[in-house]
Amino acid sequence: MTAFAVPTSWIFWAQEQAVELDRGLAVRWGLWLVVGFLAVFPGIVAYMVLLERKAAARFQDRIGPNRVGPLGLLQPIADALKLLTKEDLVPRGADALVHLAAPVLVIVSAFLMLAVIPFAVGMAPVDLPSGVLYLIAASSLSPLGVFLAGWSSRNKYSLLGAMRAVAQLVSYEIPQVLSVIPIVLWGGGLSLVAIFDKQADYGWFIASPPGLLAFLILLVASIAELNRAPFDIPEAESEIVAGFHTEYSGMRFSLFFLAEYLSVFAVGCLATALFLGGGMPIPFARFPLNLLDGSLARLVVVDLILLAVFAAKVFSFVLLMIWIRATLLRLRVDRLMNFAWKYLTPLAIVNILVAGIWYECVIRPGALTLGRWLGGTLVTGPMVAGLVWLAFWVNRREWAGEAAGPGRPSLEGARPDWETPGQTGASPQRAH
Amino acid sequence: MARILFLVIAGVGLTSALSTVLSRNLVRAAVSLAGFFFTVACLFILLEAEFLAALQVLIYVGAVSILLMFGIMLTRGVQGTDLVSGPSAARLPGIVVGLVVFAVLGYAIFEEKGLRTQYSWGALDERTAIARGSKEPGSPLRSAVNNMGKVVGVELMTRYVIAFELAGLLLTAALVGAVAVAHREEDETRSTGSGVPPEKPEPTADKPNP
Amino acid sequence: MIINNYIFIGLLLLAAIAFALAPILVARLIAPRKRSRTKSEPYECGVLTLGETWVRFRIQYYIFALMFVVFDVETLFLFPWAAGYASLGLFALVEMVVFLGFLLLGLVYAWAKGVLRWV
Repeated sequence: MTAFAVPTSWIFWAQEQAVELDRGLAVRWGLWLVVGFLAVFPGIVAYMVLLERKAAARFQDRIGPNRVGPLGLLQPIADALKLLTKEDLVPRGADALVHLAAPVLVIVSAFLMLAVIPFAVGMAPVDLPSGVLYLIAASSLSPLGVFLAGWSSRNKYSLLGAMRAVAQLVSYEIPQVLSVIPIVLWGGGLSLVAIFDKQADYGWFIASPPGLLAFLILLVASIAELNRAPFDIPEAESEIVAGFHTEYSGMRFSLFFLAEYLSVFAVGCLATALFLGGGMPIPFARFPLNLLDGSLARLVVVDLILLAVFAAKVFSFVLLMIWIRATLLRLRVDRLMNFAWKYLTPLAIVNILVAGIWYECVIRPGALTLGRWLGGTLVTGPMVAGLVWLAFWVNRREWAGEAAGPGRPSLEGARPDWETPGQTGASPQRAH
Repeated sequence: MARILFLVIAGVGLTSALSTVLSRNLVRAAVSLAGFFFTVACLFILLEAEFLAALQVLIYVGAVSILLMFGIMLTRGVQGTDLVSGPSAARLPGIVVGLVVFAVLGYAIFEEKGLRTQYSWGALDERTAIARGSKEPGSPLRSAVNNMGKVVGVELMTRYVIAFELAGLLLTAALVGAVAVAHREEDETRSTGSGVPPEKPEPTADKPNP
Repeated sequence: MIINNYIFIGLLLLAAIAFALAPILVARLIAPRKRSRTKSEPYECGVLTLGETWVRFRIQYYIFALMFVVFDVETLFLFPWAAGYASLGLFALVEMVVFLGFLLLGLVYAWAKGVLRWV
């Protein structure tokens, strides 16, 4: 059929020069898919859940799960078996297809995020030229899944939780994305491998005033993106049962659970790769990389060091998140939205410009020296401190201006989230 | 291999486009539309425009579809009762008009003569590459295709500065416009919302309750 | 080559979908299934649901989604700028100051109009 032959030969001129899928590549991909994505990452996530339960228990002066296996180490397996034998429920009136598709979408989003993380030298599943952008695009799929979950359940708590969740997710996605831009600027490209190499030359990106601010913005925005305390209004169990996944039970619920922890892991990897120098153990040294001499044995040793350090960093990041969750209280919804739009977004925007100044001071002149680093810190440090102070000052003033007492915004005019036809009356059209 | 991929992606895209149009339920239609956006991103990747593909997913699947959903939640009649479809008498002329538009577009595309070639698009068997010389591995165009993000940035900052700044202005205008419109609506609902019920509760209950 | 990498991404996509669907299928096979009317009611803490669930929401949500789209499109310009900055000079920084100035102006306008207040 020439009708097909014509456009396809046009579209696939690019394919002509694509490298043949040789056996080595196929084996590598197979290993990544089967061992990495289907075994190791879910395993890590299962034990992260146990870690969180144990750590949260310690924070509350309890012991935590310790019955299944030694020290409770078999608990994840028991949990998985229990969830597998739970009844698979779809509520009456739900949109069954969308109800099934929503958790799948959330899982896909979490999995796709992990595909570009450079864990060690030559140990990124793929190295895309637009890696950072790809990562953000992959993570932006999950709000849609959350919304669909809440909508398709046909439950008021679900829908309300989903609407709140999506409003929160999209609000915090802006500062999250903006806080990554300084890294792209300093890394000179969107590839995560290139960013890793740049950090080997110029120190971890967190070790600069704008980098530190960007990291803090990313941390806060990520916690909000993951719906974890103190940003867990979408799942506020004292108000709206379980939010968007109220109607999910058994295996379907566990998919959301798994996706949440998979995302925590992915965000930990992201923060490590972008800000904390990947697997580098010392901030301003090329330490394990300078051992490389092209031989395979050296490469294996270096990669093992890098992997261990990477894992340690991700582990600390996850512990930090658990600590925050165990310590802080839930925010009120208006303050939550305020914080995204009135603190984080303006700060992140101006921080990009400060990052440009840092680039001119430190990275453009050439190799990193102590003098350049100090100079850059002296120039940008006060700027960053001033910015943060300004943001808090402006918001304080606003609070004081509009509230009855200082620091208390008035709740006058507060209305419910949805428009009720006929506010008084309280006459539902049909009572059961 | 590539041809099969293209056919699969195009098939999925067509299916989701059709279900966007045919779906009775607004949210389902929007989901299909998001799926269609995603297949467009896949086509971009087949054209080696991965930067565009990532932007497509970020903006359209990640942002615009959320906007659509929130827009739908603002309206009544989400459950897709037969509110949208017109009288069936209008269906036949509609189909005819659609086919005619399709035929005109198809004709125009196939008869279009490019700037570089003397032949019409439909008469050619082999397409020239979009950027000439981009097939050779080491050529500047090749590296431009591989680092599209960088190249787009440099071009935006040098050749298309004015357009870039205008785009910023346009975005601001969009923001200000949205705020202005929303602000007015807020005032209206605020003034009517407090006090006696302004409107009679509409009979939204289309579904019989068992 | 780029496209080969995306073949891996495509495989990963399929693997993720399979990974999500497989346990649901297994649960279908081994989990008990007992349907009852009460069980499939929407969960509202034991109270029967009243009225329609898919209702109209306030416009506030829509405004935030709209602002989200605007700022998302803004990042679309920021990424190539940041990626290409190494081969550009201070002039690019000044251009970005102007561009971001516009957007901050829009944000300040929304702030001043009180649209950013959630309540």
